[in-house]
Amino acid sequence: MIRTEEMILNVGPQHPSTHGVFRLVVKIDGEIITEAKPVIGYLHRGTEKLAEDLQYTQIIPYTDRMDYLSSMTNNYILCHAVETMMGIEIPERADFLRVIAMELNRIASHLVAWGTYILDLGATSPFIYAFRDREMIINMLNELSGARLTFNYMRVGGVKWDAPEGWIEKVGSFVPYLRGQLIGYHQLVSGNEIFLDRVKGVGKYTKEEAIQYSLSGPNLRSTGVKWDLRKDEPYSIYNRFNFDVPTSEDGDCLARYHLRLQEIEESLKILEQAVEQFPGEGPIMAKVPKIIKAPKGEAFVRIESPRGEIGCYIYSDGKKEPYRLKFRRPSFYNLQILPKLLKGENIANMIAILGAVDIVLGEVDG
Amino acid sequence: MIEELLQSSPGWANFGIFFLLGAVLLLIVLGFVTYGILAERKVLGYMQLRHGPNQVGGKWGLLQTVADVLKLLLKEDIIPKAADRPLFIIAPVIAFAPSFMVLATMPFTDKFQFADIGVGLLYYIAVSGLTTFGMLLGGWASNNKYALLGGMRASAQMISYEIPLVMSVLGVILLTGSLNLNDMVEAQKHGWFIILQPIGFVVFFIASIAELNRTPFDLPESENELVAGYHVEYSGFRWAFFMLAEYVYLFAMSALITVVFLGGWLAPISFLDFIPGAVWFALKFSVVVFVYIWLRATLPRFRADKLMEFGWKVLLPIALANIFLTALIKSLFF
Amino acid sequence: MLGLVKGLKYTLKNLTKEKVTYDYPNKPLPLPDRFRGIQKFYPEKCIVCNQCMNICPTDCINLTGKKHPDPTKKGKIIDTYDINFELCILCDLCTEVCPTEAIIMTNNFELAEYSRDMLFKNLEWLDENDENIRQVNKP
Repeated sequence: MIRTEEMILNVGPQHPSTHGVFRLVVKIDGEIITEAKPVIGYLHRGTEKLAEDLQYTQIIPYTDRMDYLSSMTNNYILCHAVETMMGIEIPERADFLRVIAMELNRIASHLVAWGTYILDLGATSPFIYAFRDREMIINMLNELSGARLTFNYMRVGGVKWDAPEGWIEKVGSFVPYLRGQLIGYHQLVSGNEIFLDRVKGVGKYTKEEAIQYSLSGPNLRSTGVKWDLRKDEPYSIYNRFNFDVPTSEDGDCLARYHLRLQEIEESLKILEQAVEQFPGEGPIMAKVPKIIKAPKGEAFVRIESPRGEIGCYIYSDGKKEPYRLKFRRPSFYNLQILPKLLKGENIANMIAILGAVDIVLGEVDG
Repeated sequence: MIEELLQSSPGWANFGIFFLLGAVLLLIVLGFVTYGILAERKVLGYMQLRHGPNQVGGKWGLLQTVADVLKLLLKEDIIPKAADRPLFIIAPVIAFAPSFMVLATMPFTDKFQFADIGVGLLYYIAVSGLTTFGMLLGGWASNNKYALLGGMRASAQMISYEIPLVMSVLGVILLTGSLNLNDMVEAQKHGWFIILQPIGFVVFFIASIAELNRTPFDLPESENELVAGYHVEYSGFRWAFFMLAEYVYLFAMSALITVVFLGGWLAPISFLDFIPGAVWFALKFSVVVFVYIWLRATLPRFRADKLMEFGWKVLLPIALANIFLTALIKSLFF
Repeated sequence: MLGLVKGLKYTLKNLTKEKVTYDYPNKPLPLPDRFRGIQKFYPEKCIVCNQCMNICPTDCINLTGKKHPDPTKKGKIIDTYDINFELCILCDLCTEVCPTEAIIMTNNFELAEYSRDMLFKNLEWLDENDENIRQVNKP
């Protein structure tokens, strides 16, 4: 008699497609997954606990290392939270620099998501093309902040450095360049029948499920919910710019793939306008006390990171260190829907679904 | 020359000559594998805006593969404790041996061929099917779940794509009236079979990629899903044998396509006949290899279930229709 | 089928395009002035204010001062100054708080060593690290 039995397969923590040290324990029947259990925590560094012993300025380098693909938004969320508590007004020029840096970083992050997603599906070249263009962004941010990934650029009350000479023009000329490259990206991948076969209708969920699982970012917008904090709760100076929030009704991996590429285009629009409106002169730091002490009380702020809503909760008892700091890390929340999505899929789809969620393990594990 | 040897009475001298010729062919094939791998890495690199290997052996990295192979030779031979030892050891050999055996029947030029057997094409396809056993056994013997899945995929894929592969050349066989590869080349004097049998060629080419386990059909070893598939536990020279088998098949399959569809050693236009056949063969062969590499640089991977569907529901019916069409044309016009 | 052909065309077009890789170990990476590499330390400028030690988020800086050898002068001079590069994340905060610019960043970033102990850099080493020093230190 032929006997079949289920097999437990450990995917990760060292696996090419888990984007870091993520472990997935799947029970498979042949190649069909009957149960999936994510195991996280391999990259847990206790950022929130460490922050309780650190001054606010000292926490900023730690936020760089949470979502290491978009450090700028992480920098911003902490500074924004502290500024909200202290009621600091940010100078206009600093706000512009912040927005430009954040949008550049968003593009870089989506480019990585795009490249690695196609790499997960088996094509190697798009990854390199994406990294070629990302490298230009990284170099620009390197010129601005002095680091390629862990920027540590923003400070409570402003930014550390003013834009170097000619930098704004460089950003301005990068916008049309990337627009041209995006056409190539679509040529290379978006119409590819094999690719469409892999992602169309895969990993589908509904609007209700997305909201129940508290998804955010492209994962939420792929189901048709038009929710982008840059539009719905404008922070910084985002209300000055004219841009769209792309959404899709399909809720599958293909929709998420397209949304990321469309978001790059929207970010390019913002960059274009920001470069145009960039104020010629002005301070880059507000008047802040030398030792930053958030007043007694609590605050929660949230912004739109490339991966979704990133939030920061600070409870302060008036000292120079926070009493409690909590980050709402979008990757962590977006990951929670994975066991549900993976049930009944095969192993190839598992990779496609996991890649489309676009997690960064530094952020999942905190 | 070879015909005479085959006919003559057995003896040590004959054995020696055969052995020597075999060794020469092995060296040629190894030379191709060495530079085939280098060419693949270079072309992939250039398409991906990189340089590819450029450190070992000058600017073109001419010794890179040699260095890699030496490194593999020096590696510790690791056999997992829980592995099925005899099977684990023999699997790479089973995978490699047929890949070299199939070359015996390949007519590289009208003179350079080892065995001019009547059923050359059939022999090629039958023997190449044996490699699947090596992959399956390797996957099974490793006692690794990823390897098992890879081996499973390998056998499923190879079996389902062997059928369209055979069916698609049936049209060529019908037109030639022979299974002999030399006859096939001769039959292309007035027009290559790629022109006479375009549908058959496309089906054959797609099925051949699947047979070679190359992108977009590299499911048995899909790096992003199964880490390395059936050879995940192999290292050192055992692993090298799997890779060698893969690239020798690339050699053999490109040669077969050249012979069956691209007119083998024949010149495309008759007044170019003064250029030796070996050059033409090499040129056509290189183009086929380049297309394989090019596809690898561009395409993502199929999904296992879609692959099966594609093989059985698309390729096989098309191949069958092609046979029917060819038979019709042959009976009407020839 | 059309999508596949388009993709193939795109990769073929890239075959002849200019390469984008850096020839890194052979040619040094072009880095902007602001790049944050291994610190350079000027012992003569240091006033032993301990600010860098206090601001360091990873506590990788250790320093001790001693009384000024010249009894007519007030204040302290630096005695030992160690940075532990196992911990240092090159965040730039020490150079930001330094009132005399005694510690500044350089463009050197190659920190690979054969032993962990060698990542423990002392005052002399940091003083000798005087290549590619950052020109503009304060915004």
